[in-house]
Amino acid sequence: MQAIVNYPKVRIGKYSIDIFPYWIGLLLVGIAFGLVGAFIVLTQGLQVTGLSNKVPWALWISIDLSSIALGGSAFVFGVIVHLLRIKRFEVVGRLAILLGFLGYSTAGMVLLFDLGKPFRFWHPIVYWQPHSLLWEITMCVVLYLSVLMAEMLPIVLEHPAFSNHPWLTRFPVLEKLMKPVRRFSHWLHGFSPVLAVIGLTLSLLHQASLGATYSVLSGRGLWFNQSAPVQFVLSAMGGGVALLFILSIIVFRITRPGLVKDGVFYDLARISGAVTLLLTYLRVWDFAVTNYYSFDREIALQTQVLNTIAPYSLTFWLGQAILPAIAGAMLLAAKRIRSFRVLLVVATVPVLNAILMRWNYNFSGLIASISYDPFTPSVILNSYTPTWIEFAVGGMVICYWLLMFSLAARYLPFHATDHPKHS
Amino acid sequence: MQNRDENTKDTEQSSVSRRDVLKIAGGLAATLGLTQFISIKSLASSLEAGSVNPDGVKWGMLIDINKCIGCNYCTYACQAVNNLADDMLYNVVTTETTQSGTEFFLSRPCMQCAEAPCVHVCPVEATYYREDGIVIMDYDRCIGCRYCQVACPYDARVFNWREPIEKSDLIPTFGVQEVPNRQRGVVEKCHFCSHRIDDGLQRGLEPGVHPQATPACVVACPTGARVFGDLNSPTSPISKARDDARVTLRLREELSTEPRVYYVPPDSAYKPPFQTGEE
Repeated sequence: MQAIVNYPKVRIGKYSIDIFPYWIGLLLVGIAFGLVGAFIVLTQGLQVTGLSNKVPWALWISIDLSSIALGGSAFVFGVIVHLLRIKRFEVVGRLAILLGFLGYSTAGMVLLFDLGKPFRFWHPIVYWQPHSLLWEITMCVVLYLSVLMAEMLPIVLEHPAFSNHPWLTRFPVLEKLMKPVRRFSHWLHGFSPVLAVIGLTLSLLHQASLGATYSVLSGRGLWFNQSAPVQFVLSAMGGGVALLFILSIIVFRITRPGLVKDGVFYDLARISGAVTLLLTYLRVWDFAVTNYYSFDREIALQTQVLNTIAPYSLTFWLGQAILPAIAGAMLLAAKRIRSFRVLLVVATVPVLNAILMRWNYNFSGLIASISYDPFTPSVILNSYTPTWIEFAVGGMVICYWLLMFSLAARYLPFHATDHPKHS
Repeated sequence: MQNRDENTKDTEQSSVSRRDVLKIAGGLAATLGLTQFISIKSLASSLEAGSVNPDGVKWGMLIDINKCIGCNYCTYACQAVNNLADDMLYNVVTTETTQSGTEFFLSRPCMQCAEAPCVHVCPVEATYYREDGIVIMDYDRCIGCRYCQVACPYDARVFNWREPIEKSDLIPTFGVQEVPNRQRGVVEKCHFCSHRIDDGLQRGLEPGVHPQATPACVVACPTGARVFGDLNSPTSPISKARDDARVTLRLREELSTEPRVYYVPPDSAYKPPFQTGEE
C-alpha cells in the first residue's frame, strides 16, 4: 500500500513549484565543491588544514562526534521497536535507523580525511590494541554500521521498484538476482531482535567511549572527568531523539499526513525531554564537582584562559544548563503544549546541546593546554583557524547527509508493513 | 477465534515467542563472548606491554639543569641524526623559571614513560614498549590518527604534516642521518637513538659509556648535562649520577606516567634566596 505523500511546494503567483530538484542540485554543488577540497587533502596531506601539533583534532573531529551522537536515536528505537515491540513506533523506528546509518556513514567519511594515512583505515581491524578507546570505537562503529546496514536493507528492498519495476519482467536475469537478495532480507528481518540487542550493546559501548577518549587523558585538566562517558551517552540519546522528532514531523506529519498519529510525536518529544533533563542535572553536578568541590588550579586556569578568548562559561550556562533545562521541561510537557511549531523550535536545543558539548569538550583541552615545566606550570593558549578546505570537506559530508536524507524522505517506503513474518 | 488472530496483529500486545527469546539470548551470548575475547586479549597485551622483566635493562636519561647552558646542541644533533625539519623537533630546549623567578633551561626529550599514555591510546599498537623500556613506533603501522599526540602530557610527539625534508641544514655539522625518513601522514617521536643502542650492544659496547652506543643528544652535550645508561644497573653512569644528585625530579610526576628521564633541578629552586654559598 502506498501512502499519500505531499511534497512541499513553493507558490509564486499562480505557479506552484516543487523545490525538490533545486534542493538536490544545491546539495550536489556542495558535494562537488567538497570533492575539490577532498582531492587536495588526499594528494597534499593534512598540511593544507589549520591543524597543528598543538591542536591536532579540530573541526572534522567535532563533526564526526556530533554526527555519531545525532545517530543515537537508532539504538534507542531499535530497542523500542524490536525488543519492547511497541508497534506504534514502528514507522518512526525506520526513520531512526535511517538517521543512524546516515550519522555513522558521515562520521566514517569525515574520519577518513582526518587520518594522516587514509588508506590504512583498515589497520585497527587487523592490528588489535584493545587498551585503546579509539580501537574500541573503530571496531564498534564498523560493526554497528554493518548492523545498521542489515537493518536498512529490508526497508530499502520494500520499495516498489524492487518488486514491480518493468525491467524485472523484461530482463529475467534481474528477477533471478533479486530472489536470493529478497530471501536474505527476509532472513535479516527475522533477526531484528538480535540486531537490536547487538546494536544497543555496540552503541552504548562506543557512545560512552567517545567521551572516555578524552576523559582518560589525565594530562589535560578539563578533560579528565569521570562522568563524561555517561554525559556523552545521554546527550546522544537526548539529541538524537530530538532530531528524530524534528525530522519525523517533516517526513510524516507534513509530507505523509495521517501515517503517524500525533501521540507518537508527543512521545518522541517526551523521551527526548526526559533524557535532556537528566543530562542537564548530571551536567550541573559535574560542573560543581569539577570547578567547585574539587578545586583544581589547572582547571581553574584553563577555564580562565578559555573565557578570555571565547564565551566558554557562557556557552556552558546558557547552552548546556539553562536552555536545555527549559527545553527539556517543555518537551516533557509536549502533550500540554500541543503546538508543533513551538515544539519544533524547542527540540533544536537538545540537538545543538549535543553538538556544543562535543565542540567544547574537544577544544577545551587542546586550545588551553597545560605546560610541563616543573616549577611554574601554566596554561598555554594555542590557536586554530580552519582553512577553506576543512570547511569544504566538512560541508561535503553534511551535504551528503542532507542529500541522502532528502532522497530517503521522498522515496523510502516508510509505510509498507506487509512483512512476510506478520502476514 | 479467527477474530483474535486478526486483532493481535494491530494491538500493542507484545507477544515474544520462544524462538525470539532464543534469538535474543543468542545475540546476548555472542556479544558476551566478544567482550570475553576482548578482555582476554587485552590482558595478554598488557603483559606484553613493558612489564616484561622489570629487572632487565631499562634505559634512562638524567639531565642536570644546573649544567645546561641552553646551547641547543642536543636538539641540533637530534635533528641531524633523524633528519628533522626545524619545526619537527623531538627534543626541545625552553627557558623556564623557578618559583622565585630565576630562569633556567629545560631540555625535553621523550620521557620514555613506563606507563606511557601514547602506548595506551594507540588504536593499532603502532607505538609499543621495547623490552628495554624504550617507547618506539612502527611507522608502517601508524594510521596518523594523532590520538598519541593528544594524549602525550609532554608534547613530545610530532606529526608529519608534509613530506620529509631532503636533508637537514645541520647535516653534516652536527652528525649524519642515521635512520630512514618517515612518511607524510604518520606521527613520529624520539626513540633514544635505539639504532645506536642496538648496534652498540652487538659490538660489545656499553650505551651511556661508549659514544657510538649512546643517544646523539647525550654525546653532543658540551657540558655533560645529559647522562645515559641502564637504570637497573648500579654501576651504570646514570645510576651513579642519580646517587650523586642531592635530589632528582621527573616532569609531571603526578600523572603516574613514570618517566625514565630524570632531572637534577636548578639549585635556586631548592635554596631560599637568603642562603648563599655551599652548605
